[in-house]
Amino acid sequence: MTLAPGRAVAVTAVLVVIFLQLPVVVTVLAAFSSTSYLTIPPQGLTLGWFAKVLSDPDYLSAIWLSLLLAVVSTTISLVLGVAAAWALHAKALPGSDAIASFLMAPLVFPSVVIGVALLQYVSLLRLYGGTGVLIAAHVVITVPYIVRAALSSLGGIDRSLDEAARVLGATGFEAFRLVTLPLIRPGLIAGALFALVTSLDNVPVTIFLLGPGQQTLPVLIFSSVEHGVDPSVAAVSTLMIVLTGLILFVAERRTGFHKFV
Amino acid sequence: MIMRRRTGLGLVSPLMLVLIACFLAPVILMLPTSFREYLPGMGITPGSWTLDNYTQIVTDDYYREVVWRTFGLGLLVTAIALVIGYPLALMIARGPARWRVPLTLAVIFPMMLNLVVRSFGWIALLANRGLLNNLLIDLGLIDTPLKLMFNMTGVVIGLVHIYLPFMVLMLVAAIQAVPRDVEAAAATLGAGRIRTFFMVTLPLTASGILAGSILVFVLTISALVTPRMLGGATYRVLATVIYDEYMQLLNWPGGSALAFALTVTALVVVWISGRLAKRWGGLA
Repeated sequence: MTLAPGRAVAVTAVLVVIFLQLPVVVTVLAAFSSTSYLTIPPQGLTLGWFAKVLSDPDYLSAIWLSLLLAVVSTTISLVLGVAAAWALHAKALPGSDAIASFLMAPLVFPSVVIGVALLQYVSLLRLYGGTGVLIAAHVVITVPYIVRAALSSLGGIDRSLDEAARVLGATGFEAFRLVTLPLIRPGLIAGALFALVTSLDNVPVTIFLLGPGQQTLPVLIFSSVEHGVDPSVAAVSTLMIVLTGLILFVAERRTGFHKFV
Repeated sequence: MIMRRRTGLGLVSPLMLVLIACFLAPVILMLPTSFREYLPGMGITPGSWTLDNYTQIVTDDYYREVVWRTFGLGLLVTAIALVIGYPLALMIARGPARWRVPLTLAVIFPMMLNLVVRSFGWIALLANRGLLNNLLIDLGLIDTPLKLMFNMTGVVIGLVHIYLPFMVLMLVAAIQAVPRDVEAAAATLGAGRIRTFFMVTLPLTASGILAGSILVFVLTISALVTPRMLGGATYRVLATVIYDEYMQLLNWPGGSALAFALTVTALVVVWISGRLAKRWGGLA
């Protein structure tokens, strides 16, 4: 008696997977298409849209700000988040569960609410339009992913290894750095990738906090779509698709990423 | 793992301070704004307090329609994601082993991909002069383009695409937690594949279905980017109305009242589901 899914299930699954890849394929096609509207078969191929994007100062500065925000906020989240998770895991404080829930709270809050709350806050404090504000906002939205990854990784390792290191004379920090940290590294890499992608992706918080002349890449795409479909948007999207694909490929090879999702 | 309380405090407090200053304080400070009076063109009237911003959410026809539309959209997107996500989850969890990793990656890849990029892809597909309409016209199936965007159709397609991966991953975890022996036992006792699924597998994954549905529902009612890009200025939901109140009308009191209403709804839904999950967990 076999209980493997039947043919109907398999066919549905394949159709759903195709549905999931559909906008990706179409975006890539549009990026190489010489016409501004898509037809099948494409009426001509060009690399012109890529050249246009990569020589456009607006796109370049948006790409730069997006990368800066993602890398800086993920690094800060990683340091603060892992430190907090380590203390919470060790049950060093009363109310660890409540603290953990608080650290994860930005996940259940609608992003747009965090965005408008920060908008009022920074205008009250007269801090509007600063890169520091954007970094702080991105730490808020990325840190829950790090804390979650760190807590679940710490929960999955053998406590006696840390104790053994301590018995053999390591200080608490040495035991963490030399024993615990290497053990939780794959989980942390997965969490950091999620944080990175979350920051690179964000519109609903970022859009409220950008000062005049400041743009991140997704916000630039978001607002340029309001003025109609432009193939250069498809080109920049294709660059992001390739980048995401590469990150996922490397992560899967290095850490077996799919197990951490 | 021995750690002194002072060390623990030193490790937790930097992050706590950042979140109190940059998350908790802004959200709490928004509360007084939501009770202020707003006069169009004049901004916030100093010194006056009112409940109007909240009462108009349920009394004003325009806001009421937006609220119902948002919740309706949440239910519809959740239902579709569940129905089309379950077979895929079943295939990942119970299908041939060599399919597992490729299928999982095919689910994760679009999930990792930029939300704005994905919505753009749907615009290229669904627009009046998009791929789908061009294809149908070239094939001679239709004469005038179908209206697939700036209405419910476009927003539902876009939102299902974006939140389906979350549903699938939740369901995969739930299905994998069902012991294969139980299904085998049902089969040995004479139940066919379909009967085994509906009588055994489906009920045993109820908690995963609940968790996935709550997640998709909450994400859908809070979504801004996809409804804005695929619904445009005509098909509005709560998040896009909040965006407009803040950025275009500069009606911060009205916007913050809507923001609180949305937050409370999301938190209540999450809280109720937590209670339900606990009760079911107790029964199982």
